Amino acid sequence: MKRREMLKAGVAAIATAPAVFGGVMMSKSAQAQLCRLEGIRSPETEPDSPPVSAYTQPIYFPPAMAEVSAASINPPADPGRHQRYNDFPPVKFYVQRLTEGYWNYHDELTALTGNSGSLAWMFNGATPGETMVARYGQPVFVRRYNDLPDLENSKMPFGYPASTIHLHNGHTASESDGNPMDFTIPGKFWDHHYAMYLARNDSREALGSLWYHDHMIDFTATNVYAGLSGMSIFYDDIDTGNENDSNPKALRLPGNLQFGGDNQGNPYGYDIPLILHDVRFDQTGNPTYNVFDTKGHLGDHITVNRKVKPFMNVEPRKYRFRIYDGGPSRLYELELSDGSAMTVISNDGNLLEHPVEVASVVLGPANRYDVIIDFSRYAVGEHIDLENVMEQIIGEGPTGRRLAAGKHMEVLRFNIVALKGPDNSVIPSFLRALPEINLNEVVAHREWVFDHDMGLWTVNGQFMDPSIIAAAPKQGTAEIWTFRNAGSSWAHPVHVHFEEFQVLEWNGKPPTGVLKSRKDVAVLGPNDVVKVFYRFDDFKGSYIIHCHNNVHEDNAMMLRWDIVAK
Amino acid sequence: MKTRRAFLTTAIGASVAAVAVAAPKEIETRSAMMTCSPAQGGKNAKMFPHVIVQDQYKRKAWFYEELIQDKLVLVNFTSSKGENYYPIIKNMVKVQEIIADRLGKDVFMYTITTDPIRDTPDTLKDLADKFGAKWQFLSGNPDDIHAVLAAFKVHGNLHALTWIGNEKLGRWLNKPSHLHPLYIAESIARLSTGKHHKPSLARGMGSTLAGMRGA
Repeated sequence: MKRREMLKAGVAAIATAPAVFGGVMMSKSAQAQLCRLEGIRSPETEPDSPPVSAYTQPIYFPPAMAEVSAASINPPADPGRHQRYNDFPPVKFYVQRLTEGYWNYHDELTALTGNSGSLAWMFNGATPGETMVARYGQPVFVRRYNDLPDLENSKMPFGYPASTIHLHNGHTASESDGNPMDFTIPGKFWDHHYAMYLARNDSREALGSLWYHDHMIDFTATNVYAGLSGMSIFYDDIDTGNENDSNPKALRLPGNLQFGGDNQGNPYGYDIPLILHDVRFDQTGNPTYNVFDTKGHLGDHITVNRKVKPFMNVEPRKYRFRIYDGGPSRLYELELSDGSAMTVISNDGNLLEHPVEVASVVLGPANRYDVIIDFSRYAVGEHIDLENVMEQIIGEGPTGRRLAAGKHMEVLRFNIVALKGPDNSVIPSFLRALPEINLNEVVAHREWVFDHDMGLWTVNGQFMDPSIIAAAPKQGTAEIWTFRNAGSSWAHPVHVHFEEFQVLEWNGKPPTGVLKSRKDVAVLGPNDVVKVFYRFDDFKGSYIIHCHNNVHEDNAMMLRWDIVAK
Repeated sequence: MKTRRAFLTTAIGASVAAVAVAAPKEIETRSAMMTCSPAQGGKNAKMFPHVIVQDQYKRKAWFYEELIQDKLVLVNFTSSKGENYYPIIKNMVKVQEIIADRLGKDVFMYTITTDPIRDTPDTLKDLADKFGAKWQFLSGNPDDIHAVLAAFKVHGNLHALTWIGNEKLGRWLNKPSHLHPLYIAESIARLSTGKHHKPSLARGMGSTLAGMRGA
């Protein structure tokens, strides 16, 4: 299909069936079950945050992680603690320290705190933590120190000061994956080895937009909400981050001047990661959280890179935004305030085969979309807003309604400023081929049913017990996994560690558009059934499958599975 | 939810009936009755109703101030009838064995009836004694118990969650009541402070190769 035809098809699909879950796959009957009779507030809605002005705060750009020398790692890395360390000896070394401190979410919230800033748990003094920018073929070593205060001295009113950091969608050996039971307590550290190795050494398996976040058993929602999240960008031979790349195979997507190019200009150039967390604040300007609400937690201020409703200056040219739903529980439908189109180039951080033009993007917790927005259609001095139009009043899932005009949730304002140079970026009509699905390799089918029973969130009627291995696929094999939402009124963003999947069927239909991709989070709407294809290679050990509504996850909606030797 | 003032009016109703009949206005205007406000200072005081409950020995207590506030607690939910369908007491007795002599000293366990209309201190004493449960089984005025259940989002007779909280620090988590008792006891150790604090009881349940290393 030619790009123009393909784009038309994408627009038509959006116009006729707004993407709610899984692209356009959700059945009408399932969608109808979402609609509830309650008003915009539920009886369980927590008190409102102090109101703050929108679009007055500049966005925060987390810097790239700063390299340290291998020799400065003391005690030195222990190769015996890592699978295949010597196959992929690290060439980039980093150190992160987790601390409790104060963060300026918004000047008006900081004013309420007595100008200290809002309480936060941070990486090297900031949230989101520094962005881990990595390239395939350049293995990474990160030592993370838990310098949080101990339980008795932590000021953060929720969460637990032990931590295990998961690189979300990393093709990572078990011991570096951030297993919920692999946590460090204050004063200790954990070493993470990221092999920067393409799964099966197949260039079609390259990952692009990842993130890292805490995964502490029972406390993931609260610890991430407190601030323990950061982003990661992987570049490779074709997605190089350099829009001026002279390599004929390079995609030349809108470029990242610092990380992908010539080290000139602003920190991110035109390839910018944006992580959304919805946060609720108390009257003293600090984040609040109701641990007794096991349905999920909703904030009423949307933060982008931990700034409440910020603005960002953009030039009239193309930008690549890596948009992350950082959770804990909110789903978003994001659109531009003038309804104009965006071009989706990746789903869950992995490049699509073809770009898809859309009017909005729908994200559940942990979903990511890379979108290209072309601001050249605007004049200098104009602004355009990114808004959330999905109504959600309780943590377990959206209502199924769109927010009325004028009631959209404010997310991010783009102010158009003067162009600094030529826009040499392109949107290629073909991005990256998907690996073929060979069903002859399939040796097992497994079903995972997500449900609620007697107050408990369950997977296959079971709950997180780290000593029970729910599945043990053999290394070097492929399996078909089916995710089924047995609930009729809630959403479950299902996430499996280690490996992303390709959708075979979503409610019986083959994937199209943005869903034809490699994904690591399947947001199951009511009664959705999703059949996916998995392969298990390169590493062994314990991994998990869980609901990425982090509140459900902390309420034991998680099972352990292991990759075992063939 | 019953206000404290309304509760006190009822509670003292029996003993001061004569006075109440003779001079009801006098009682209503007694300042002590008018100024009692919900508990203050406890980290999650606002999350809990201000009600009196009683245990299987018919000892009465204010639920939050006397049983929860500033304490390390384990709270779960069942009923004499519900135990036949979704038993949890047997598993909790194993937790009781692991925490041993901390029970009643610095760890407090409570089972709250989900069936306050049928359950009484006597029926709950039979249930506790049948399994050798030494912790407190709580019942009371059905409206009050329902308010306590609502605070923990318990709806229906059967409920599969056990809450563990250190209310001195305001930190809570929950575990499935059917989880291996070692993990339930572990979460108590994790929320303990001082000499009883242990981040883990179960070893080697994460990945096999790496381990936490000292700074």
